[in-house]
Amino acid sequence: MSFKRVVITGMGVVSPFGNGVSVLMQGIEQGRSAVQRMEDWDRYIGLQSLVGAPAEVKDEKRIPRQKRRSMGRMSIFAAQAAEEALVDAGITLAQEDRWRIGCIIGSTMGSAKSINDAFEIILPNKDLGQLNSTMFFQCMSHTAAVNVAQYLGLNGSIMAPAAACASALHAIGIGYDLIRLGRQDVLLCGGAEELHPTVTGSFDILFATSAKYNATPQDTPRPFDKDRDGLVCGEGSGILVLEEYEHARKRNAVIHAEVLGFNTTANGFHVSQSNKESMVACMKQAMNDAGVNPGDIDYINAHATATIQGDQEEAEAIRDIFGTSVPVSSLKGYIGHTLGASGAIELAASLTMMKQNVIYPTKNLKTVSPDCEGIQHVLQPISKKISTVLKNGFAFGGINAALVCKKF
Amino acid sequence: MFTLSEECMTEQEIIEKTNKVFEESFEIEKDKLVPTAHIFTDLGLDSLDIVDLVVALQNSFGVKIRNEERVRDIRTLQDIYQFIFTIKKEEIDKKS
Repeated sequence: MSFKRVVITGMGVVSPFGNGVSVLMQGIEQGRSAVQRMEDWDRYIGLQSLVGAPAEVKDEKRIPRQKRRSMGRMSIFAAQAAEEALVDAGITLAQEDRWRIGCIIGSTMGSAKSINDAFEIILPNKDLGQLNSTMFFQCMSHTAAVNVAQYLGLNGSIMAPAAACASALHAIGIGYDLIRLGRQDVLLCGGAEELHPTVTGSFDILFATSAKYNATPQDTPRPFDKDRDGLVCGEGSGILVLEEYEHARKRNAVIHAEVLGFNTTANGFHVSQSNKESMVACMKQAMNDAGVNPGDIDYINAHATATIQGDQEEAEAIRDIFGTSVPVSSLKGYIGHTLGASGAIELAASLTMMKQNVIYPTKNLKTVSPDCEGIQHVLQPISKKISTVLKNGFAFGGINAALVCKKF
Repeated sequence: MFTLSEECMTEQEIIEKTNKVFEESFEIEKDKLVPTAHIFTDLGLDSLDIVDLVVALQNSFGVKIRNEERVRDIRTLQDIYQFIFTIKKEEIDKKS
């Protein structure tokens, strides 16, 4: 059986820098940080990390009320990113076979703010009568996928992988499989997530957040740096239009990249600790699926969130396969860790870098930590012809994901 | 013009509070809020909106109407004004 080829023809992003891929790239190019001290977070007892990278909800009234009412923050981000991606792809839904266009959009869970609000309403008096009709639709795990599908009027496959910080890469991987198997023509794939003190809190209680830079938020997170002290949560959404190659060719679409391979593995031994061996297997199998060798990879966009253990394991895994031969950078220092959205937002940035033949450095990486040495860290922007990129994404639950894309 | 003396609530106050719900909860322009407006066909509400309408009216008027069968008969804004008046009046009558 021969697989169909899968290409990426559209990209859309809502990030802590604002709405749009170009706005994201401008922030990265200028070396800015979107991390800030979060107002009022100090009222949460026990929360050590008081920094975050918030995105702004804006122009949401452009979404009709009856479509918007079931959307929490993350779904608004997803809808706007999806809209940008569709415009970028130049796809007019009315001209397509509607049963063959869908969306695969993942997230850790439903809207954190809406979930919090729902319990604030219910718990004081155990009163369900005050809940509005759409609260459930904002809270459910497939909220972003469903809301994007409803907003755009999609009729094809709708799925919502929940794999925490690997959710977006899982979504792209699933979309890649559905299209290469011939089951769908076009899928809007990616992830969405929102920033909330309870989300940061889930990492904070495990001492995985950055807590030493509350007074100097722009100095954190610090992926691979000797002074890194944990991750900083961000929010937003990244959506990529995956399309069957012949379908894209027939409509003369501009092709950003071809998806060559994907793989996901699990460490099978610990729910929160990263594990080099399973990361190595994941990257190797993704390259095997893509039919490329380590020597073919021109750039690795690391997951690197700036946790002590996670960065070390990823650096060791990359070192074992690539040594110092391939430039590696993480984008978390610019926009924080956008969790379930990170794989897609960072892939959109990586594919743009590939187009521009430039690699942006790991922000806040000043002194490489001894436990992260042995790989080619990018400390300054590099001009380099990039043909093939490897994107990593790792998640709580011991989940790893890796995707290989090639310039078309 | 009707008045619920004990609650000091006039017909005008019921209209204003109800219309405010439609403006704030359902983002409907003021000039569309005429008594004869059909809440489904003219104002565009649907079945989910009715759940929210009930919650909003409960909060605005301090009444309990979630399990009230008569909600099903509401078609126009005037129906709502009259329904709220009736409910409030029944509450007052019950107290006395």
